[in-house]
Amino acid sequence: MSTTTITPMPAMPPVGRRVRAYFAPVNRAAQQPTLFDPSTNGQFSLDAPPAPWIDFGWIESFVRKSASKFGELVTGSPGTTQFQLRETVDASVSFRFKAWSKLTMALASGSEHMNLIVPAAGGQANGSGSKGVPPVNLATGSTATFVALAASDAVSFSAGSLVTVDVDYAGQTGYVGSAVSAAYVQSAAAVNHDPDYVRRVSFNVARVASVSTSSTPGLSLAQPLLAGVPAAGMRVQPVCGFVDREGGSFFQEWSALFVIEGQQGERILFHYPRLQAMAGSSEQTAALIAPLERIALSASYRALPVIDPNDGAQVVCFRSFLPGANTLV
Amino acid sequence: MQNAKDTFYVTLRTRLATLNPARTMVLRAVTRPGIFVADAEAPMAQPALDAFALSWSGLTADHQLPSILAQLTCEIGYATAGTQANAGLDRGRALEEMDYEVLRLLYPYSAQKMNYAQTPAAPMETMIFWTEPEFSPIIPLRDRLSRIAKVTVFAFQEPAES
Repeated sequence: MSTTTITPMPAMPPVGRRVRAYFAPVNRAAQQPTLFDPSTNGQFSLDAPPAPWIDFGWIESFVRKSASKFGELVTGSPGTTQFQLRETVDASVSFRFKAWSKLTMALASGSEHMNLIVPAAGGQANGSGSKGVPPVNLATGSTATFVALAASDAVSFSAGSLVTVDVDYAGQTGYVGSAVSAAYVQSAAAVNHDPDYVRRVSFNVARVASVSTSSTPGLSLAQPLLAGVPAAGMRVQPVCGFVDREGGSFFQEWSALFVIEGQQGERILFHYPRLQAMAGSSEQTAALIAPLERIALSASYRALPVIDPNDGAQVVCFRSFLPGANTLV
Repeated sequence: MQNAKDTFYVTLRTRLATLNPARTMVLRAVTRPGIFVADAEAPMAQPALDAFALSWSGLTADHQLPSILAQLTCEIGYATAGTQANAGLDRGRALEEMDYEVLRLLYPYSAQKMNYAQTPAAPMETMIFWTEPEFSPIIPLRDRLSRIAKVTVFAFQEPAES
């Protein structure tokens, strides 16, 4: 048996149209990034990234910079470079998110990103939101897209509202937040022993698609919760928006994957296992037709290292190329 | 995009009926607010006087957003010969009145997108919005004065529209 013979084409320059971004949480407590394996998943459908990667859509003004420094060993007279050595390994990446959401805003903000919990009556005014209305308990039977509640609690929510679903803050220190390390608590006093603090910074948020107060009371969600099936002890509070701040001591850290699809079927992937925000929140506008402007979220990150177990090298970024069909390599 | 076009037209028609109830026209034996969509009516040899005619021309789309953002160019044409009572000598004033009405009709520069293909019409999930008008110079033709106000209407394509 023999196969048909291909007609090989010479290697061609990739022609890309746009860049798509995917992010996945880093387990900060365990210092464990999410690794992307291009040999296994490199040809994934752009609309359905492998878990736990989250599709952030098309981004713009994508720029990668290598800031690694090289030195040389010079000997002899006249001095002649005999060897090169890597003095530092450093890289950064910057781009703009086109759409605003909890996730894009948080990743672009650089520091803690907070949910504006619907305030309780008479609360003291505060820039990142005042004391929220009391949370309600989960009932049994919740899923990633359904929050089971008592009928008497469900009635206080409405279709279209936003909710945060997470545990009470119970005095712990360290990273907090379900699914994503959303903040680092240095002491209970620093967060005023606020039982709502975890829900205030949590990424476990969603929009409510519909509310049921009948046989199976609860909230059907228009999007799945990042943490999946809610854990016992989680509670629910309504949210009216989001806020970030210039300042704070926390750095967002995420694993990132950027994909450029070439016009001949080839694919270029940039995988940064650990990206930490390296700038505060800022925006950039793009004119539609004056005075209308589209407002994009500026984001810039420094790449932090991981060890490649294939050879023990310390690296900050992986660039993969999956050639188009029948091109010579 | 048809929902965006329909919404823009009905929004302006509703606003006109409130702003100037006297500006009406008779079209196909029906008296209605003096605004119509040119491509939804029989071709006319000359533009109707003292009414606003909406014509859709340019179209561009931004595909790189989570939802496609369509930009539709709408030309609002209008002409007047003044009033018979004044022998047409008030045509400049009449055109100025229509200019001002265009400005008032377009503000606020957004509206809830509606689906008028069903009865009753149903609100959709997004708003349409548009630019401020860009007025052409006055075009005099014999006893008529006319002008075109160009507006770009923006609309996100919703999943239900695909």
